[in-house]
Amino acid sequence: MKFLGKFWAGLCLAAVIGGAGTGAAHAQDIKIGAVFPLSGPNGSYGDIFMSGSNLAVKHINADHILDGKLAISYEDSQGTPQRGVVGMNKLVTVEKVPFVLSSFTGVLKATAPIAQRTQTPILNGSGIGPDLAELGSYFWSVIPYANQEIEAMIPYLVKKRNLKRFVLVYIDDSLGQALRKQMEESLPKMGGELVSAMSIPATLQQFSSIAAKIRSANPDVVYIASWGAQQLQIVKQLRDNGVTQQLASYSAFAIPEMDSLPEARGTLATAQYINLDAQDPITKRFVADYRAAHGKTPPVYSTNYYNGVRLFALLAAQLQKKGKPITGANLLEQRNETKTFDLVGGPLTFETGGKLIAPIQVKENDGAGGKIIAVIPAQ
Amino acid sequence: MLFFQFLINGFQVGALYALTAVGFSLIFGSTKVFHFAHGATFTIAAYLFYYTFSVAGLHWLLATLIATSAAVLFGVAVDRYVYAPIQRHEGSYFTVFVASFGIVIIVQNLTGILFGRSFVSTSTPLSNSLQLAPGLFVSPLASIAIVCAIVFFAGAHYFLMRTRLGIGLRALSENADLVRAYGQNPRQLSMVVFAFGSLLVVPSAIFTSALSGLNPAIGHHVMLISMAATIVGGVGSVRGAAFAGVLLGLAENLSLLYVGPQWSEAVPFVVLFLFILFRPAGFFGRLVSS
Repeated sequence: MKFLGKFWAGLCLAAVIGGAGTGAAHAQDIKIGAVFPLSGPNGSYGDIFMSGSNLAVKHINADHILDGKLAISYEDSQGTPQRGVVGMNKLVTVEKVPFVLSSFTGVLKATAPIAQRTQTPILNGSGIGPDLAELGSYFWSVIPYANQEIEAMIPYLVKKRNLKRFVLVYIDDSLGQALRKQMEESLPKMGGELVSAMSIPATLQQFSSIAAKIRSANPDVVYIASWGAQQLQIVKQLRDNGVTQQLASYSAFAIPEMDSLPEARGTLATAQYINLDAQDPITKRFVADYRAAHGKTPPVYSTNYYNGVRLFALLAAQLQKKGKPITGANLLEQRNETKTFDLVGGPLTFETGGKLIAPIQVKENDGAGGKIIAVIPAQ
Repeated sequence: MLFFQFLINGFQVGALYALTAVGFSLIFGSTKVFHFAHGATFTIAAYLFYYTFSVAGLHWLLATLIATSAAVLFGVAVDRYVYAPIQRHEGSYFTVFVASFGIVIIVQNLTGILFGRSFVSTSTPLSNSLQLAPGLFVSPLASIAIVCAIVFFAGAHYFLMRTRLGIGLRALSENADLVRAYGQNPRQLSMVVFAFGSLLVVPSAIFTSALSGLNPAIGHHVMLISMAATIVGGVGSVRGAAFAGVLLGLAENLSLLYVGPQWSEAVPFVVLFLFILFRPAGFFGRLVSS
């Protein structure tokens, strides 16, 4: 019996030592972090983001771009700043990651000071609040900001579609306020008019009376600036309650549920234009593998987070080649040195301050992933 | 015309709020259990109806039957297997509340896993509004909801006032020992009240799935409104919860005549605070001195 006890103790000890040995064998493994909404009403965005970032990790590891295996540690922000800060703190202080993918304007603004203080770059692939441009050198974006989307959408609607009377339904956060300001400034110059701007709380679920107010304003187009499940509720209830006018929005509309909502047919939404028909091997491989895994064309957000992970890998590989440690400060230095990177859709160049200027597409919802009806060049 | 539109919308939304609140008020009033998981019952009924009707393509009557059965079974199971053991071991009121809150979180996450975490809705042409007059739109389904609410309240009122079981339920809220003395089993009565309270939430869940759509976190919103209506109506008063639900719906919608949509969601809670300050017993509640 004693022997058996010693046997099991020995076996356990061996397992522990063996485990430690295995860990030592992967000392070169590299982990980055991601703060995404993985649950709650915005959880479906997390699925979209991860479909891009996970595919990037798979490709990078298959190509041995890095000396060591790349992995991502995910934290759930639920799309809220409070949860985002908790996740970001855990990633930089406990997991000690050198680079974090993040999303949602509110979360990004709340976590940016942590990034600046700990010198850990945050890569934004979905937040489009124009004030994100002021968040410091450790805040990088691979998506253009909302002002670019509005600057593309307004001329398209006013000049090409002859839709001049606008009603804005918006969540009263920094993004919504920026969109309202932009509309108030841009519409009169184009010959349009903002006839009514209705701010709504992010938790509102009943829109039948808002539909009545919209009908009474008699607009040509209703611009919706919401996100997550709420924007679907708005579209459904506006249509159910007799609002027949053109509905338009920004890139937050690019979620699969909008495609499967019958009431959303014909709605227009802008997004960053990425040329997925580009013939370079990076784009072709990404599109082919994404289609094989998900049975559809990759959405912009998936592409952005694929590019975000790839950007990290390219920078980290250059640092490894130079024999420098992969730290946030070194990544920033290397990004400023390299400037242009081969990513999905072609080479991408960062402006000073980590800002990206990109062409904008206008997509019409057709229930099958959307149809690009206009591409407005970068201005 | 905008006033009439808001008035109609207020009645439509109020009917749904009332249907939601009555079940909670009945359970809380009879058993003194703060059944936060009533929101989870709503979520289960709504999602099951959505799935069986919209996804599986079953007849709406069969889908309703499945949603109702699931809601009633869930309510009874929570009482029997969660609340009863806690109460048997003399767990505090707060322990029961925390357990109930935990159930909502579990159901919310399971719903997300099973049905997806974003928005779903039951598609039916009945949710499309018809124009009755210039600028006045009414959805047939919302009108059905109002009629359904009236029928359910009348039924609940009759059951509680005229049947032996209903009288027993009311007695349970007053004095459980006396109920025992009359040969009734408080435990069984508790089970009945959970079954009946859970049944009452089903119509609201079904109408909501078609009129405004669902997300897994909808149970929290349901409970906020239920709690407000229960307090405004008078704790334990089914009639009061029904009136309060309609009042809150009207206040939320008519307020849009004077304030922006940003504030409409806060209006029901302003009404709640006014009642707490000036009429703490609610519409039909009784003041109790200790």
